[in-house]
This record gives sequence, structure tokens and C-alpha cells, in this order.
Amino acid sequence: MAEAILEVRDLHKHYPLTQGILFKKQVGAVKAVDGVDFDLAAGETLGIVGESGCGKSTVAKMLVNLERPTSGTIRYKGEDITKLSPRALKAVRRNIQMVFQDPYTSLNPRMTVGDIIGEPYEIHPEVAPKGDRRRKVQDLLDVVGLNPEYINRYPHQFSGGQRQRIGIARGLALQPEIIVADEPVSALDVSVQAQVVNLLDNLQTEFSLSYVFIAHDLSIVRHISDRVGVMYLGRIIEIGTDAQIYDHPTHPYTQALLSAVPVPDPEARAHRERIILTGDVPSPANIPSGCRFRTRCWKAQERCELEVLLLAVPAVFRLTDSPAKHDSACHFAEEKQVVPPEEPQEPQEPEQP
Amino acid sequence: MVRRLARPAPQPGLHRLRPGHPLPGGHRHLAVPDRLRRPLDCDLSKAQEGSQPGHPFGFNGQGCDVYTRTVYGARASIQVGVFATLGVALLGSVLGGLAGFFGGAWDGFLSRITDIFFAIPVVLGGLVLLSVVTSATVWPVIGFMVLLGWPQIARIARGSVITAKQNDYVQAARALGASNSRMLLRHITPNAVAPVIVVATIALGTYIALEATLSYLGVGLKPPTVSWGIDISSASQYIRNAPHMLLWPAGALAITVLAFIMLGDAVRDALDPKLR
Amino acid sequence: MLLEVRDLHVEFHTRDGVAKAVNGVNYSVDAGETLAVLGESGSGKSVTAQAVMGILDIPPGRISGGEILFQGQDLLTLKEDERRKIRGAKMAMIFQDALSSLNPVLSVGEQLGEMFVVHRGMSKKDSRAKAVELMDRVRIPAAKERVGQYPHQFSGGMRQRIMIAMALALEPELIIADEPTTALDVTVQAQVMDLLAELQRELNMGLILITHDLGVVADVADKIAVMYAGKIVEQAPVHEIYKAPAHPYTRGLLDSIPRLDQKGQALYAIKGLPPNLLAIPPGCSFNPRCPLAQDLCRTDEPPLYDVTESPVPRTSACHFWKECLHG
Repeated sequence: MAEAILEVRDLHKHYPLTQGILFKKQVGAVKAVDGVDFDLAAGETLGIVGESGCGKSTVAKMLVNLERPTSGTIRYKGEDITKLSPRALKAVRRNIQMVFQDPYTSLNPRMTVGDIIGEPYEIHPEVAPKGDRRRKVQDLLDVVGLNPEYINRYPHQFSGGQRQRIGIARGLALQPEIIVADEPVSALDVSVQAQVVNLLDNLQTEFSLSYVFIAHDLSIVRHISDRVGVMYLGRIIEIGTDAQIYDHPTHPYTQALLSAVPVPDPEARAHRERIILTGDVPSPANIPSGCRFRTRCWKAQERCELEVLLLAVPAVFRLTDSPAKHDSACHFAEEKQVVPPEEPQEPQEPEQP
Repeated sequence: MVRRLARPAPQPGLHRLRPGHPLPGGHRHLAVPDRLRRPLDCDLSKAQEGSQPGHPFGFNGQGCDVYTRTVYGARASIQVGVFATLGVALLGSVLGGLAGFFGGAWDGFLSRITDIFFAIPVVLGGLVLLSVVTSATVWPVIGFMVLLGWPQIARIARGSVITAKQNDYVQAARALGASNSRMLLRHITPNAVAPVIVVATIALGTYIALEATLSYLGVGLKPPTVSWGIDISSASQYIRNAPHMLLWPAGALAITVLAFIMLGDAVRDALDPKLR
Repeated sequence: MLLEVRDLHVEFHTRDGVAKAVNGVNYSVDAGETLAVLGESGSGKSVTAQAVMGILDIPPGRISGGEILFQGQDLLTLKEDERRKIRGAKMAMIFQDALSSLNPVLSVGEQLGEMFVVHRGMSKKDSRAKAVELMDRVRIPAAKERVGQYPHQFSGGMRQRIMIAMALALEPELIIADEPTTALDVTVQAQVMDLLAELQRELNMGLILITHDLGVVADVADKIAVMYAGKIVEQAPVHEIYKAPAHPYTRGLLDSIPRLDQKGQALYAIKGLPPNLLAIPPGCSFNPRCPLAQDLCRTDEPPLYDVTESPVPRTSACHFWKECLHG
């Protein structure tokens, strides 16, 4: 792996729960993010998947410094960005930019497209001299596939996909090295999603960007990511290359998650094994002891309740060479293929209708 | 007999309303007979008389021309309404907006203060505070309205700033490294100002009405100042036999309030790029 | 045939003109059958369903033509109070957003029981027992204890189960589910879809599943109607359509979704944007985005062709369906 430009260690974000009208007293905490570690290498795409409430968006916000971590470090090229002075932070922000989920709320309705994409230059005037800015904005519009003449229009004159392109252009304006994309296509129509995913792909090559790509759609994450981390209740429970995670998952939650994704192939109905989990995700204010997945896990034993397991290569795979040798936080990790193999198989016998 | 009240001597040469007069322009084209330009020139023998040539609105209880007094009354009523609204809107939106934006202890403190001000009954507060004022100008009344009115706008402003603050485009600006003042002025204010404008223009009408209430109770504006409030309250006792004395100033009040509310809508539309 | 929609037209009168939301839709569902109506936002898939249910907002909406035959009877000729008797009792709907579809100030038991009070004239007490029974049926654990709780005390998946219970209360013959799992997480989505499919089999209901998710469709549907700009552009049994689509829009959709089981190169992207319903292009409405478009497509609106090469009945509204099928 190339050198890591972003190192996240033991990241926590707890929101205090308070009670009382006049004197507020803390009665607990919502542990939105509860110990997250990962590295991001230059030029790679790290996908983070998980269900709603798992803390993936909070991680994204901490990466771009929109939320302050309760504890833990985020090192960008060796420098901990969670403890910077405002001035130093502003400089770092140039290099880590964000693309937001909702193209309808992420653009100020009272600013023109030119003002929106040009705003980064007003905040960081050293990047582009004043006379140059309009041309730069038009170049950016061109780069994201919009007509440069749209510079004086307002966001409401564009469709969702076009708005997301404007958001991406704003993210690119300062020539960042890292783009954190939080569900960038989930609000878009299917036929438009592909356009935006392809655009992100092309931009990565053109500007040698690193992506942290956060989504709940496992298919899109696989498509775009080099490595994938699976989050559950504030923690990454399994992380590895896309092939390791999708074709050789070892954590029961990853297996259940993957098996639940509907595959757009009706022939797969017959020979797909689905793991249907029981119950719902526990509240992040009340995380189960030990392994946090044990309340929904079919493998759970007493040990899972008592011991907290850290994210590491499970002992059974440590000495092997198999693709299952990747970090997974489970006592009973075992490989299980849940996604049908890549080559579509011919059904052995004709299916009964 | 022309009874002259204590106010400025009649100026025979005065043919037009003085410049800078805060009357809405629409009133100017109405022909005003020369001798009626002074609202305090009254003829008691004509008291309570109805409409007649040269005096389209009739006379009031003191025999003053209702038309003239209605025109002149706009000055004080609109002064009170406009300046009280401006004061309330400025003070309320700055305090409320900052509380909404920064949150934390300042927000909690301000919220308690607004609660306290909300607990003060307006009329009782006016009776207590304004009864010690001797000035005959409109400023003490305006000051009182700003003092009691700003918490209402502060609440609205705080709420709409908090709503606007949660929009992703504010987060986006923050992620770019934008300063607080930039986020407030460029992103939050333009998107949070609409409800404040709407509430403020509606409040404008209530301030004009509140002025009338206070004047009626004897603590608001005092004669010889001419205001719709004073005229409405003094006409209210004659409502059975001379309703015209009440209807004209009250009608002017209603139309003015309506006009300001429509102005508020128009301003809000003008600020919205979606309707451009 | 349980439900047959024939040449349905719906328009909306807006400030900017007449939006033609549905332009001649034909589809049918039999008892025990699942029809998936697939389309993007603005394709008219939900508007068609609202017209069938009789919950379209009129005005601004207007049904400007067509028939909706339910068990042989044209619903559009019925009076409002006659339709109301059918709604809920014989056909029911499940919405996407369970939280806003449930009344927050009434307990779940009261809302479930209301169906029996209104349609069956049951007493409050009996209706509560029925509510518990229904909650058991959609597998909400501890139904007896939870029947008095309020919607916000349930998780998203549980709320969607309550919506399903409410739709099933009177054992209708037809269920219309409008994006029933879009707001849910995948693991919960799988639970809910399984439940819905199982109950449908058990009660032999017709199911119209409105969705944009090609994965969900492949899992549960018997046949698919693909909608674009207020028209059905392709209709076929589910296995046929995924094997070989006969309309370029369907092909584009299938090619544009990333697959869990494949790490492809660049995705195929349908160029351009869905049409503005105020100004639908002449000829074939898909022609500005279509890779196969010829002059003919810009002038002549394609009829619904029978795909004669297929062993099972299927149709496509493309002049060049043969090229597409072999494409």
C-alpha cells in the first residue's frame, strides 16, 4: 500500500444526553462513533458502509472538521488536524473537501452557481487571483460536465444530478487531495447515479484524488472502492480490499448485510442463501456489552458478551494466505460466500417456474 | 368662532404639506381646502356634524375636520409603527440571530430573558413605565414598544437562524474554512430573514394599534399630538350617534396595516430567487 | 382479472401549464400475482397508483381518460362513497414513509382497530383484540404489550410492519405498495419484503409493487412494467426482461446499476435527463437520450409492439425492439 495520507486512530464522538430544565445533568451519552481506526492511502478510495445510525456520517464530518472528536486523532500527513489552531486548520481544509448527500440543501438557494463555486476562492484568496476566478469557475463547470454558460443561474434551475455536479465542482475548486463524499448519489435517480459515479471515477484519475466514500448502497461502494470498511454501531467491524470483503467476508454482520442486498437477477432467487437478521440495531445510547453485534448474531455465545474484541486479523486466518486474512472483529470469524461468484453460473438444471 | 388650541399659530401662506412629511404619497393628490390644513383649527359649533361640501369626512366631537385630522394622524401613527418595528426588528434579530448561531450559554441566557419579557403584560407595563414620562413626542412610546417587542422577533430570528444553520450549504461553507461572519452574512441571513420580515410587518400593524390602546389609556401619545389612536379612542364614545368620527381614522388604520402586510409579502417575494 | 387499467391518462394543471403525468397506461394484475411498476421519479408510477386507489389530488390533478376495472367494474364511474367502501376493504396501499403515514397522537392499537370500527362496525374492545391479532401476524414481538404504544416508540422496520398490518386488516384483494422499503436499511428491507411476499401468498392477493430498485424487483416480481414519461415502455415477465430487455431505456437502466457480484469498469450511463412533463418530446419520449434513435423516433410515436420472438407475451414501445433485444 502506498503511504497513508490520512491516519485515523481510536476516533470517538459521544453526544452527551442531559436531563433537567435549569441545571442540566448528564445522564448518558449517544456513542455515535466509538473507536474507529483506518488509513487512507494517496490515490485510493476507501468505502465505508453501514446502516443508518452506524456513525458513518459522523466520521465524515470529523474528517472535514465539521464535528470535533470527543477523543482520538486524525492525522493528515502526520499532523493531527483535530488540535490545530484556526489558522492552521484553514490551510488544512483546503486539502480535505466534502461532497454532501442532498443536492437540494447543500447549495445556497440565494447564490448563483458562479458564486457558489467561486466562494472557495473568496475564502482562500491565495489560490486564485481575483481576475482569474470567473474563468476558473467556468473551467470547473466544464470539468464536471456542465455548460460554462450556466454560471449566472440559480441552483433551483437545475435537476438533482446537475446540482450534485455543482457540489462536486465546489469541492474541487481548491484542488484538494482528499474528498470525503457522504452518500453522494443516494438522493439521485438510478439513471443519473451512474453519471455521477462515473464522473467521480474520472475526476479521481484526472486530479489524483483520494476518496473516502460513505454510502449505504453496497453495490455502489464495491464499484468505486479499493478498500471497504463495514461499520456497525460506531465501530468498523471488518475492513479489507473490496474482494476480501465482498467475496470472502468473515464477520457475521458483513455476511448478513451482503446477503440482504437484492441482486438484480431473477435467476439468482433460487440459489441465493439469505441471512435474515432478527430485530433492529440497538440504540447507540445503549450499546451492548462485549461484541456490539451479539444481540442480533446467530453465532453469539457467552464469550461474545464478556470480551470486547479489537479489530485485527482473526487467529484462524493469521497464518494462512487466503483472502480471508484481513481485519475482522469476531471471535468466531469464518469465511462464508454470500455473494454469488463473479462469473454467472449456468443453473445445473432448468428451474421450475 | 374659531377656537384655537395651544399649538402653532396658523400660517396663512402654507400651501402644501411640509417636505419630509412622513405621509404616504397617495394622500397628496386629495384636494385640501386651504383653511383646513391645520388639524387643530376647530369650530365647536360644527361638532359631530356629518359630511358636507368641503368637509368630506365631517367633524369630530370638538368640531375639528375629520379629514384633516386623519391625514395628519398618519404622521404620528406611522412614525410609531415604523420606528418601533425597525427598532424591534434590528434589536431582536441581532440578539436572536447571534443566540441561534452561537448557541451555548449565551443562547440559554437570552432565552430566559425573552421568557421574562414575555411574562410582562404589555398594557400594565405601559401604564407603569409610560406614566412617569412627560415628553409629548412619540419617542417614549416607541422606546417602550422596542423594549417589550424585541423578544418576539428574537425568538423568530433565533428559530430561523437555527433552521438555516442546519442546511448543508452552511456546513459546506464551514468545511471550506469560511469565517463565522461570512457564514452569518452570506449564507444564513439571506435565508433566515424572510420570516423576520413577515412577522415584523404584521407586528407593525399591532404597534399602531398598541399606540391607540396606550393613548386611550392616557399614557401613550397625548394631545395636541394628532394620531389615529387618539382620534379612535376619543371617537369611540360617540359611536352611536356619530360613527363617521370613528370609521375614518379606523379605516385609515386598517388600510395602512394591510398595506404594510402586503409590502411584507412583496419584500419576501422579491428576496426569493425562485420567483425571479 | 383482478385489476385492469386501460389507457389511463392523468394530467396536472400547474401555473406553468399542463403536466402530462400519465399518458395511456395499460396494465393488469391477477389474484396472487406481483406486478412491479418500475420507473424513476416523475415517470408517473405513483400517480397511476393514486388514480387506482382514488386518492389523487383533484384538482390540480385530473383523470382525462381511460378505465380502471376492478373485478370487472369501472372504478372511475363510481360515486365517491361507493369508492370509499372499496378503499381499505378491497384494495389497500402501503406508503414509503411509515412515520408520516401514521398518526403520532393515536396509539398503534387505535389506528389498527379503526379499520374494523369504520368498515365492520366493531366495538372498541373487539377492535383492540383484532389489532393484537394483526400485529402478531406481521410478527411484531410482544404484540399484546405494545398495542398501546405510539408510532414513535417503534423502529422504522416495525413501523413499516404496522403499515402492512393496517393494509391487510380487512384482507383486501389488492395491495399497492409504493416504495415500501426505500426508507429502510438493507437488513430490515429484506425482512419486510419477505413478510410482504409471504402474506401475499397466504391471502392470495394481487400486489402492485412500485419501486425504482431493480434488485427488489428481481427478488419478488412476477412481471414488470417499466414506465418512462407517463407511459409503459416495456412490459414482460421478470425473467425475460432481465435476460434480454426489448427497450433501450430498460437496457440502459440494467446496465447503469453497479452489481454487488461484479467489479465492472465504467458504468454505462444513460445520457441526459428525464423529460420535463410540461414539454414531452414529440415522437418517442425517450428519443433524446436513446442510443438507437433514428429520424423515425423523432416523428412517430411508437405503438406497443408485441415482442413476437418471445415465447411468453411481452410488449415494447420501441420501433427498434428487435435491435435492442439482440443488442
